[in-house]
Amino acid sequence: MTETVRDHSLLGGAARFVDFGRACGADEVEISLIDGRDFSVDVRLGEVESLVEAAARSLSVRVIKDMKTAYATTSDLAEETVHQLIRNAVARAGLASRDDHSGLPPPAAEEIDVSSLRLYDPDISYLETSRKIRLALETERIALEDTRITNSHGASFNSAEVTTVLANSHGFLGSYKQTFCSLGVGLQAGGTDDKVEDDWTSVVRHFRDLETPESVAKKAVERTVRQLHPRKIKTQRVPVIFEPGMTNWILGFLCACVSGVAVYRKATFLAERLGTRVGAANITVIDDGLMPGKLGSRPFDSEGVPCRKTVVIENGILRHFLCGSYSGRKLKHPSTGNSEGTGVSPNNFYLSPGAATPPEIIASTEKGLLLTRTIGHGLNPVTGDFSRGAFGLWVEKGEIAYPVSEVTISGNLEQLLNQLEVVGNDLDFQAAVCGPTVRVGELTVAGE
Amino acid sequence: MIPIENSFDITSTERRKILSLALSRGGDFAEIYAEYRLFNFINMEEDIIKETAESVSLGLGIRVISGEKTGYAYTNDLSFENIKKTALTAAAIAHNAGTATIPRFRRTKACGDVYPVRRPARQASLEDKITLVRRAYESCQEFSPRIRKVKVLFQDHVQYVSIAHSEGRTAEDARPQIKLVCTAVAEKDGRREFGFSGGGGRVGMEYFEGVMTPEQIGREAADEAVRLLEAVDSPAGEFPVVLAPGHAGVLVHEAVGHLLEADFNRKRTSIFWDKLGRKIGSPLLTIYDDPTRPSFRGSYAVDDEGTRPTRTLLIDRGVVHSFLQDRLSARIMGRELTGHGRRQDYTCIPLPRMSNTYVDRGRDDPEEILKSVGKGIYAERFEGGQVEDSGKFTFSISAGHLIEGGRLTAPLKQATLIGTNIDILQKIEMVGCDLEFGLQTGTCSKEGQDVPVTDGCPTIKISSMTVGGRR
Repeated sequence: MTETVRDHSLLGGAARFVDFGRACGADEVEISLIDGRDFSVDVRLGEVESLVEAAARSLSVRVIKDMKTAYATTSDLAEETVHQLIRNAVARAGLASRDDHSGLPPPAAEEIDVSSLRLYDPDISYLETSRKIRLALETERIALEDTRITNSHGASFNSAEVTTVLANSHGFLGSYKQTFCSLGVGLQAGGTDDKVEDDWTSVVRHFRDLETPESVAKKAVERTVRQLHPRKIKTQRVPVIFEPGMTNWILGFLCACVSGVAVYRKATFLAERLGTRVGAANITVIDDGLMPGKLGSRPFDSEGVPCRKTVVIENGILRHFLCGSYSGRKLKHPSTGNSEGTGVSPNNFYLSPGAATPPEIIASTEKGLLLTRTIGHGLNPVTGDFSRGAFGLWVEKGEIAYPVSEVTISGNLEQLLNQLEVVGNDLDFQAAVCGPTVRVGELTVAGE
Repeated sequence: MIPIENSFDITSTERRKILSLALSRGGDFAEIYAEYRLFNFINMEEDIIKETAESVSLGLGIRVISGEKTGYAYTNDLSFENIKKTALTAAAIAHNAGTATIPRFRRTKACGDVYPVRRPARQASLEDKITLVRRAYESCQEFSPRIRKVKVLFQDHVQYVSIAHSEGRTAEDARPQIKLVCTAVAEKDGRREFGFSGGGGRVGMEYFEGVMTPEQIGREAADEAVRLLEAVDSPAGEFPVVLAPGHAGVLVHEAVGHLLEADFNRKRTSIFWDKLGRKIGSPLLTIYDDPTRPSFRGSYAVDDEGTRPTRTLLIDRGVVHSFLQDRLSARIMGRELTGHGRRQDYTCIPLPRMSNTYVDRGRDDPEEILKSVGKGIYAERFEGGQVEDSGKFTFSISAGHLIEGGRLTAPLKQATLIGTNIDILQKIEMVGCDLEFGLQTGTCSKEGQDVPVTDGCPTIKISSMTVGGRR
């Protein structure tokens, strides 16, 4: 099993472009190269709908001259094109403003062992096309066996193999390979004028970890049919239980609010809150780029800073923002290895699980909404306010009573974090930003 | 940088060879889509020109349709040998032996006057563009002492596409695009609010002298942020909703437009699939999608399948008139092409998409519409919306007012509207005579593909909608 890059022409190419940039007069140069192979098959109602196969490369350049920065990207890797872009970038840097916080990160002291992260599954490149098609067909076929399902959005299997190479003028030269594959299906139930829909997708790095067609189909069917014959409810404030997928959504919002970039831009309500209580004592949120086999793991971030484990919220107290080296310098914090392009992005960003099982959480709820899906936008990191269209199941006396639709939930992230009454034990890392089932004290659910 | 003719250095003979290979397994239709894009980007924040970027995207996608199946392969290695390999990969969707004769190529005539550009952004100097950015930035900052943060982005972009398909057609397009946007954060007593404005479209640099100046963009963003500082929570419950002209067009885009895209209807997942020719909404409602509106962000002279686009009547006085078609859906449904096959870039299969979607003007006086509402919501700006095929949708209002006694009163904070489209379409009670379009900065996302769009509407009154607020 090889997890380092065999293709030395990519590494050598990146290093040569760094040298070229220095020769053009740049003080610092960073070159990154992505080489990807993608496959996807969509099937619908028992037939292949589309099959896509591709190989694509792209290259990104950052040059810094006199503390002024310019960027370029290209999918045309002809040497003359890349050289021209580098020359243009050095010239363009002259027109930007001097920024004392600019610059590449200092050389890293340690190096992460890529193979320990288990990012790459060699089996994925050997999967036969016919097998991938069969998996998608099988998933949809099983789902459609359920007579309550009235239509299919189709099933799909996707796989990707990506090589990332990074070189910079501080002597950094690193690379890693990673794989992903996914199997999912989207379904509808009900008649033309009272349709409900939902889907389920399993996404993993290693083919052997992929959910079976039976499992994917069963989850998609269950998620869809439980919404049939919804009722409207009156506007009220009630406890809301978030399914893991919904906790993921809230964590995604939190992640945007603890981004070092949002902090220095003062575009988050948490900007001045480091070291203070922002949530209940049962909340611990971690970002960890080094978890073997997990979707958000990587050995180093987009500028070569080794990834690590960062405690973002510890027992309700805000401890760290997620930073790249630029936002880190602005905030006088070290980079947390979360750089992504000119911004920051999470690695594995999760809410630590508690002890309660999801059935226990429902059973202990006298009256409330089990939130299963939201649609729309409605997130404001500046204020922490959120407001979204919601779907869910009404809970009464500890039991699921009936589905509800055409409601919105709204509230404020800080109030929500402070009212997190129960944290479930079902954290499953199905997504890079994730959390278990939780129950929130009270939110406004607007209906009739 | 690289002249377009050198980028797609593929002769007619080579194209025929590639298309023949693509059909060598018996597909019904094959197409080559070559694309070359150049972007420029400037970002100003914290009072400095923080960075500039330049981007080149070059690639080619080959599509083969066999019955209802699509095979697609793409690459950014444009050597003839590699393109042939790519064609064979796409060909594998079909399973027969085939020999295809590709007719002699004829060029599809593109729509004229879609891009009336006098001073192309590609030819303007970076210094000139930086000046525009600074002007917007400073106007925003100077608007009020409450403005704490300003961010201005300028982007110009040109997309060259060259299409050839097995029915013997070729088409070319060179689409310019400019965007100048400003985001402001205002602060008062520890409370912070966002404001946003922007302009652009398929225009030249002259746009910023006549249509919308950088100063106007900066001030509008600042004004919105400052006004929101005084905004109150929206009441929750069911209320009459009046959509302001222009920006509220996004509601029409989401709640109706998507469900009239042909793919959802041939798959029968849209609630409209069996409603062609049937009345689904108020007779006051007429909706068009028009890719040929000069200068508009969503416009194009040929679509991404090489079809000349036409203004398409979607809803005619409450009756479903037609769907937005791409080639695959039109083939399967036996309908005419409408020129709405679009793709994000060469890595994507075309899909039926909207371009510039709008509700046609009605007869009501906007003042009278407001006067008819005792207590309700005036929705001015939306930050986005989402709709499902089932017709359920949500919209987030980012700016609006309370209506009390027929007048606008308190400004409202973020609130969400939720509903089911047929229900809402039937509840349209009044349509104003004041058609406007929203900002020339919008992007629509579908199946992971982003394309530029605009939308518009006159003042519209909906008798009742569910509003999610915190009170």
